[in-house]
Amino acid sequence: MLARQVSAAIGVQTPLCQTAPQTMTPRAVQRRRKSAPDDSAIIERLKNGDQEALETLFKLHSAKLFSVAQRILGETSEAEEVIQDVFWTAYRKAKSFKGNSQFSTWLYRLTVNAALGRVRRSKNKTHVEYEEFLPKFQKDGHHLVRPVVDWSDTLEEKYAQREIQSLVANALGRLKPIDRSVIVLSDLEGLSDKEIAAALNLTVSAVKTRLHRARLFLRGNLAAVLGHSAT
Amino acid sequence: MHRAKTVAQRKPIDSCKQMTDLILGYLNNRLKPALRREFEQHLRICPDCVHFLNTYKKTVALAGTLKTSEISEPVRRNVLSFLRQKALAIAALMLSWFFQATS
Repeated sequence: MLARQVSAAIGVQTPLCQTAPQTMTPRAVQRRRKSAPDDSAIIERLKNGDQEALETLFKLHSAKLFSVAQRILGETSEAEEVIQDVFWTAYRKAKSFKGNSQFSTWLYRLTVNAALGRVRRSKNKTHVEYEEFLPKFQKDGHHLVRPVVDWSDTLEEKYAQREIQSLVANALGRLKPIDRSVIVLSDLEGLSDKEIAAALNLTVSAVKTRLHRARLFLRGNLAAVLGHSAT
Repeated sequence: MHRAKTVAQRKPIDSCKQMTDLILGYLNNRLKPALRREFEQHLRICPDCVHFLNTYKKTVALAGTLKTSEISEPVRRNVLSFLRQKALAIAALMLSWFFQATS
């Protein structure tokens, strides 16, 4: 039994996983595989104040950036304002884009900054202390609560897809805004750690630490909701 | 000069806590081969860590499938209209500066 479970846990060398990180979600893989639109011509036109270039840029990137803003803010109406600010800033400050990162990374950066600014100004802060939902261990290093229950295969039996979406969205909403941003850029958008670091002005090491901790927190939240030990 | 610990210097994996710390690197294929072998060896003897890894992977997969509302057509039109007006206002301002400077 354990042998089969272990194979399932480590047997992930499928053709998909040979080219993409094992944790990359189908959506992230899909986004990765799409060739990035060539923004260089648009950037040059933007730098010259070309209004049509701004509209082209909007058409290319607005859906993706709206989704990011919405996930960080949790609200559609504010996401609209964020997107407005982002494209206006991109138009005004195109000349300050030096090309040290991809243009799309710069747009992600503008979006996350605008969204986090709004979160900071908001009175409705819902994130919680992580400790309760992180794994805990005995002195000898074993899991504190044993056995650890594997609910990965039974989740869909207990809950409808819509309910599962709601559970995950709620857990995401309880993360600190910066950690939520890391999860959104990594697990929803499929950005690399390096790209996320550039977008959030963090070190790659800090991105990895935040990503792992945020995932552990989400996992603990889901476990708790399902009636198991969060740890 | 700082150097990464060699396998010989590093403490072998003997606890679930160490395993948990290594999950991110394992899933991203960033563990060195020897450490990866140790990680998988621990999985063979520890059902708790297998279950923990499965639920961690499930969490990541679920987060990746979260749906968001599409940007609606009225919103798209509103934002585009806002951007056009602002861009035109700037262009008009620049023109007026130009004429003032040249007159």
